[in-house]
Amino acid sequence: METKLQVDINWKTKRAIVFPISISGAIILLMMVFGVIMLMGQGNIIDLDSGMFYKFMTIHGTGMIGAAALAGSAIMWYFLSQYVPLKRSAFIINFCFFLLGVTMVLVGIFAYDFAGGWTFLYPLPAISGGMWGETGAVLYLGGMLVIGTGFLLLFLEASRAIIKEYGSFANSLGWPQIIGRNKGYGPPPAVVASTMVCIVDITALIAGAAILVISIVNVYQPTYTIDPLLAKNLIYAFGHIFANSIIYMGVIAVYELLPRYTGRPWKSNKILLIAWNMSTLFTIIIYPHHLLMDFVMPKWMLILGQVLSYMNGLPVLVVTAYGALMIVYRSGIKWDVASSFLYLSMFGWVIGVVPAIIDATIVVNHVMHNTKWVPGHFHMYMGIGACAMIIGFMFYITRVDGGRVDREVDHLALWLYLFFFLGVTGSFLFSGKVSAPRRWAEHFPEWVAADVAGAIFGTAVTLCFLLFMLRYINYSSKIGRMPSFKPDIRTTTHG
Amino acid sequence: MYQQAAWMITLFLSVFIIFIFLFVLKRSGNQVEYSGIQKKGYFIRNIWFVVLFGSLVTASYVTLDDLPFERAEAKGIPIDVNITAMQFGFETSVDTLKVGDYVAFHVTSKDVNHGFGLYDEDLNIVAQTQAMPEYTNTVYYQFEKPGTYTILCMEYCGVAHHIMKNEITITE
Repeated sequence: METKLQVDINWKTKRAIVFPISISGAIILLMMVFGVIMLMGQGNIIDLDSGMFYKFMTIHGTGMIGAAALAGSAIMWYFLSQYVPLKRSAFIINFCFFLLGVTMVLVGIFAYDFAGGWTFLYPLPAISGGMWGETGAVLYLGGMLVIGTGFLLLFLEASRAIIKEYGSFANSLGWPQIIGRNKGYGPPPAVVASTMVCIVDITALIAGAAILVISIVNVYQPTYTIDPLLAKNLIYAFGHIFANSIIYMGVIAVYELLPRYTGRPWKSNKILLIAWNMSTLFTIIIYPHHLLMDFVMPKWMLILGQVLSYMNGLPVLVVTAYGALMIVYRSGIKWDVASSFLYLSMFGWVIGVVPAIIDATIVVNHVMHNTKWVPGHFHMYMGIGACAMIIGFMFYITRVDGGRVDREVDHLALWLYLFFFLGVTGSFLFSGKVSAPRRWAEHFPEWVAADVAGAIFGTAVTLCFLLFMLRYINYSSKIGRMPSFKPDIRTTTHG
Repeated sequence: MYQQAAWMITLFLSVFIIFIFLFVLKRSGNQVEYSGIQKKGYFIRNIWFVVLFGSLVTASYVTLDDLPFERAEAKGIPIDVNITAMQFGFETSVDTLKVGDYVAFHVTSKDVNHGFGLYDEDLNIVAQTQAMPEYTNTVYYQFEKPGTYTILCMEYCGVAHHIMKNEITITE
C-alpha cells in the first residue's frame, strides 16, 4: 500500500507546534551564542566579567535544556496524535507556562544577578557569596517551577490519553507481548517511547518540584533546611532524567520518519519493547552517576550508578541505533536534508554514549568529574543527537507541509554542522583529558588553546544553526495551510 | 593514566562508529529485499549484543576493584589531613608533607557544595571528592613526587569559584 511522508493528523495540531518549535529554535540559537561567548571568555579572546560568565552559564544550561525539551515534546505530541486523542489545550498551556517561566528566569538572572547554575545546587541559591539576593533566586527557582508545572500538565495529559487508549502503561509498554500473553507486535514505537517519557518525566518533575519549593522556602527562611545530600539526589534525579528524556522524545521522529523514507517497517517487536522497558527503568535510576564523587553516598548506589549507566547504553546501541542502521542499509533511500539529519542524530547519540560511559566509571570519574570532559560528552548527544533530531524534524515538516525544497546549501550546512560540532566536542573532551575544570570563568594558560578552538568551532556551528532557523521560519507559516505535497514514496509502515 | 586511557578509548571507538555509519550510508542506495537484511541483521545483532554485554561486564569487574574511597585498606594507616572548603577558599590542617606519605583527606564545607580537586605540578588531577556541608568525604592519595600540589574547586559555588585554591608542598 502506498503512503506518504506526511502524517495524517489534524491541521490544527500541525499549526500548534509551529510557534513553539520556532521559539525553541530561537532560544537554542541564542544559547549557542552565549556558549560561544563563554568559550571566548575562557579563551581570553574577549574580556568577560566573571559575574557575567556565570550568568551566561546559568542561562545557557537552563535555556538549552528547556528549549530542547519544548521542541522534543512538540515532536512527541505531533506523532503521538496519530494514535491517541490528545487535548490540544494541554500543549498550549504548557507553552504559556514555558513563556512565563522563561521570563521569570531571564529577569532573575539578568535583572537580579542570579547565577546559581541550572543545577541550583542547594543551598547555593540562598548563600550566593554576595552576588545575588532573595529576589533573583526566587525568580529563577519560581520560573523553573512554573516551567516544570507546564511540562507536568503536558505529560499528565499524554499519560491520560495513552492509558485511555491502551488500558494501562503496562500495555502501552508492551508487557503483554513481552511475557507472551499477546502474540504479534506491541503498540507503535511512538506510543512506547511516549509512555517511557511520561513515566520518567513525571517522576523527574515531581522530584524537581519538591527541591525547588524547599529551596524557595530556604531562600526566605534560612533556618529551614534539609539534608544537603538528599537535596543533591533530588536535583540530579530531576536534572538527569529531564535532560535525558529530550533525546527519547526526539527519537520518536526517527522511529516515525525513517520507515516512511525507506518503505521499511519499524515494528515494536519483543526486543524493541524490552529495550524501551530497560530504558524506562535505567533512566530513572542511573542518576547517581552524577554523585560518584560523593563518597558518603551508599556504596551500592554508586556501584549501581556505574553498572546501570553501562547497561543503559545497550538499548540504543543494540536496538534503536542498530535498528536505524538496518532500516537504512540497502534501502534505496532517497536522502533529503531531513532524513540525513535523522540519520546523523543516531550517529550523534551513539558517539556520545562512548565518553559518557567512560565518565560513568568510578575510577575514571575520580579524575575527570566536573572537568570539561562532561560537557564534551553531553554536547555530543545533545548537539549531534537531540538537536539533529529537532533540526531534522524542522526540515521534514517544512518540506512536507510548508513547500520547502532542499537546496545545496542545506546539505553543505549539514556536513559543516557535523564537522564543526565534532570540533566543539573534541575541544571539550581534550580539555577534560588535560584536567581543565568545567564551569570556570577563567582558565589557566595551559588550557586556553582548546577553549579558543572550541570558540571558533562553536561560532561556525552557530552560523549553521542560524541558517537552519532561517530556512524553517521562512516556510513555517505555511505549515498546516498548504494542500498536500507529493513527497510520497514508500509503502506504509505502521498500518 | 585514566585520562589518557579515556581519551584513547574514546578516539578508537569514535573512529569505529564513524566507519560503521559511513559504511551503511555508502550502502544505502541499492535497494534489496528487507527480509534478507533482517535475517542477517538480527544474527549480527545477537553477536553484537554478546560482545557489548561481555565487554561492559568485564569493564565493570575490572574497574570496580579499584574504588577510590576504599583504597585505605590497601595501603595501611594514612596520615589524616582535614580540608574545609568555604566561599571562596580552602582551609587545610596540614600544608607540608613528604614524598611517600599516604594521606586521607577528610573533606567538608562550611557553606555550600564545593569540589576538592588535587592537582599535581603538571596540572593533572590526581584525586578529587566533593566538599559538602554537613558531610565529610574521605579520599586517599599517596604522594610519589615532590613539588607543589594545588587544590582547586571542582563544584560551582559562586562568582569567585574559579579563584578558590590552596597549596600543599611535598618535600623529599
